[in-house]
Amino acid sequence: MTRRLLAAVAVAALALSACGRDSDGGGAQEGEAVAGGKASGDITVWAMGTEGEKLSVLADAFMKENPDASVKVTPVPWDGAHNKLSSAIAGQQTPDVTMLGTTWVGEFAKTGALDVVPPDFVKEADFFPGAWETGVVDGTAYSVPWYVETRLLYVNKSVAEKAGVTSPPKTWAELTQAAKDMQAKGGAKWGIYLQPGQMGAWQTVMPFVWQNGGDIYDGQGFTLDSPEAVGALEYYKSFYDAGLSTRDRLREGETEPKLLSGEIASFVSGPWHIGLLDELGGEGKYELWPMPTGSGDFTSFIGGSNLAVFKGAKNRDAAWKFVSYLMKPDVQVKWYQTVADLPSVQAAWDDETLAGDAQLKVFGDQLDKAKAPPSIPTWEQIAAGIDTELEKIAKGTESAADAAKAMQSQATSIGTGG
Amino acid sequence: MPRRPDAADTSAPGSPPDAAPNRVPADPSEASGPTPATPSGEVSGAASGEAPGSAADSAAGSASDVRSSRAPGPGTAADSGVVAGPAVGVRSGRAANSPRGGLSRALTGWGFALPFTLLFLVFTAGPVVMSLLMSLTDLRGTDLLNPFNVNIVGIDNYVRLFSDAKFLTAAGNTAVFVVVGVPLTMALSLVVALGLNSGLVRFQTVFRVGYYLPVVTSIVAISVVWRFVLQPDTGLLNEILRFVGIDGPNWLNNQTFALPTLIVMGAWRNLGFGMVIFLAGLQAIPKDLYEAATIDGARRFAQFRYLTVPMLRPTMLFVAVITTIGYVQFFEEPFVMTQGGPLDSTLSLAFHTYNQFGFGNYGYASAMGYVLFVVVVLLSIVWFRLLRSNVE
Repeated sequence: MTRRLLAAVAVAALALSACGRDSDGGGAQEGEAVAGGKASGDITVWAMGTEGEKLSVLADAFMKENPDASVKVTPVPWDGAHNKLSSAIAGQQTPDVTMLGTTWVGEFAKTGALDVVPPDFVKEADFFPGAWETGVVDGTAYSVPWYVETRLLYVNKSVAEKAGVTSPPKTWAELTQAAKDMQAKGGAKWGIYLQPGQMGAWQTVMPFVWQNGGDIYDGQGFTLDSPEAVGALEYYKSFYDAGLSTRDRLREGETEPKLLSGEIASFVSGPWHIGLLDELGGEGKYELWPMPTGSGDFTSFIGGSNLAVFKGAKNRDAAWKFVSYLMKPDVQVKWYQTVADLPSVQAAWDDETLAGDAQLKVFGDQLDKAKAPPSIPTWEQIAAGIDTELEKIAKGTESAADAAKAMQSQATSIGTGG
Repeated sequence: MPRRPDAADTSAPGSPPDAAPNRVPADPSEASGPTPATPSGEVSGAASGEAPGSAADSAAGSASDVRSSRAPGPGTAADSGVVAGPAVGVRSGRAANSPRGGLSRALTGWGFALPFTLLFLVFTAGPVVMSLLMSLTDLRGTDLLNPFNVNIVGIDNYVRLFSDAKFLTAAGNTAVFVVVGVPLTMALSLVVALGLNSGLVRFQTVFRVGYYLPVVTSIVAISVVWRFVLQPDTGLLNEILRFVGIDGPNWLNNQTFALPTLIVMGAWRNLGFGMVIFLAGLQAIPKDLYEAATIDGARRFAQFRYLTVPMLRPTMLFVAVITTIGYVQFFEEPFVMTQGGPLDSTLSLAFHTYNQFGFGNYGYASAMGYVLFVVVVLLSIVWFRLLRSNVE
């Protein structure tokens, strides 16, 4: 018995001594070159949501151009996607290509499972700068933006007209005034709806920080309690204090009918709301405004999804060929026509399909001035902390300065996971 | 297993009927034994020998020993023979010492236990031990490729937990949910069970199904309906309140009311389970006890207090333990209804743990899981102490 115990202890000690983190081999890296010629062999691809269901349309076209290649798309539901990718990496059973949410890139890149983007194959200059940044971790590009989305102000047209708001507000003061007018003269119960904290509220509020010339992370440390950030939080708070926005969170499916009925005059959201509003018969009843400026630029939030190739890919070269095929301007336009995803490649916006659409043009212009949160592995956790503080601001239980301090100290203690 | 000693006896002609009751467990394998002649011989020996009720394990040893000396080898045929004669009590002392018999016996035992043991080790015990080890490290989502490249931090994660404001909030919310929710759920289900047990005979099944329905309904469907009911402006609940002149709050967005709302919802959802168990417990109480109590002049309430409640103690213990275990891990209600808000007023321990796993803090989240586990064990012990049967 004693001997067995000793053996167990010895094994445990061995296992423990094998532990311990290696220090990071830092510095920016460049991807290896990809062999020329047509793609061949099997390419396995994981994609989420609608993209996963419809990607085979593009895959078929790709296979027509590359008869020796066979693309196999596996649709993955968004709910389980993060877990599935984690298990695939842990079990080293990854596909060749996967779609990634922009805020996941930092985490998965840090595991060392993602292949570095080959610069000769996928060119940074083709993309919106804000979008490209989402795929870059510590100066190294690990994924390529596939489609993008950014946030605009959706406004009820008749309420705005009644209130005499004829042109989009250019500055913060004008936006506040517009919201006031739409409430007082336009007859709306709420002049604007800003998500009062809770999951994802940072996507509404961080643009205010950027518009005010502030930022979340400056490469060395977090800057969430900078004067610019505090000013942005105070601006956010002012909407609740003035009774312009409700302090209660609206559930999914509640905002659209309320905007169309004029109960809320405006809200901030992404391109998917065009479809949702039109489905409710709202076509022509609303308009889109770009973001206003604080003391900085009219910056908005950029989101979307990226494509990454795994280091463990069995067919790496063909995988990158498929990814670069999806980034061709005409393929991006076709993709927009298939699933209404906005192209991440700037040249695609010159196509008549997109350039000819007035509503889309607002998105296109906004994309030039759109930023993403830092691609660090701990971002989701930091964002959750920010959301909690934003809720306190919205509910009126905390001052903007205190919230900024709390955000900063939480973010600093969580760190960047390096 | 069917209790049919007669049928078994026909396959073992040598055994006298009086030995049959003790041999019942062995019947099926005896009947299917590959060499019927051998067991029957042994059984007759057993009948002529002593102690029909001798310890089964030593008996099994002796049987295999005897058989292996006769059969070509202690193969599978012999193994099934072992089971065939558990009641054989012949000179068990000598046989049990035989190394061969012991080994064969152990092999047989493990052979039967193997499928479960393997599954248990790989899919239950393994992960449990792994997560305990994980809770002692700083394993994160970024370590997936090299899980051994982590630092051992000892009980650091556990220490950190108790300075984590969110964890403490979550612990407080969970405590309130359990302390208020468990008694509420138990009381409601007991009341419903008593009602169903006494009066309603005709529609009992309808009511039973009705109350049990929430237990088997998907929480997602329930949440949609409840959200409609709880809508501040147009919800059913506030409409009714307005009817009597009360301006109802925004239930799920109000810090004061969100948690109580979820408690009520939880009680409503789990009431059916307690009810079914209580109903079974109530129907197991002999009717003549009530008759005797009535003759002694006990009123309804006295009967309930001094007869029903004591008789229901074991049932109560069961419902209390199961409900407590469920409520300590309370997760689904905040997950689908409030996402832990407003201002973390409905954040539960399990939900917080889930979030931490989502953030990739595997080590830290495992530590939380273990704290939750210890709490469940402690609370179960408390219930056992409180409701220990003291009928005797």
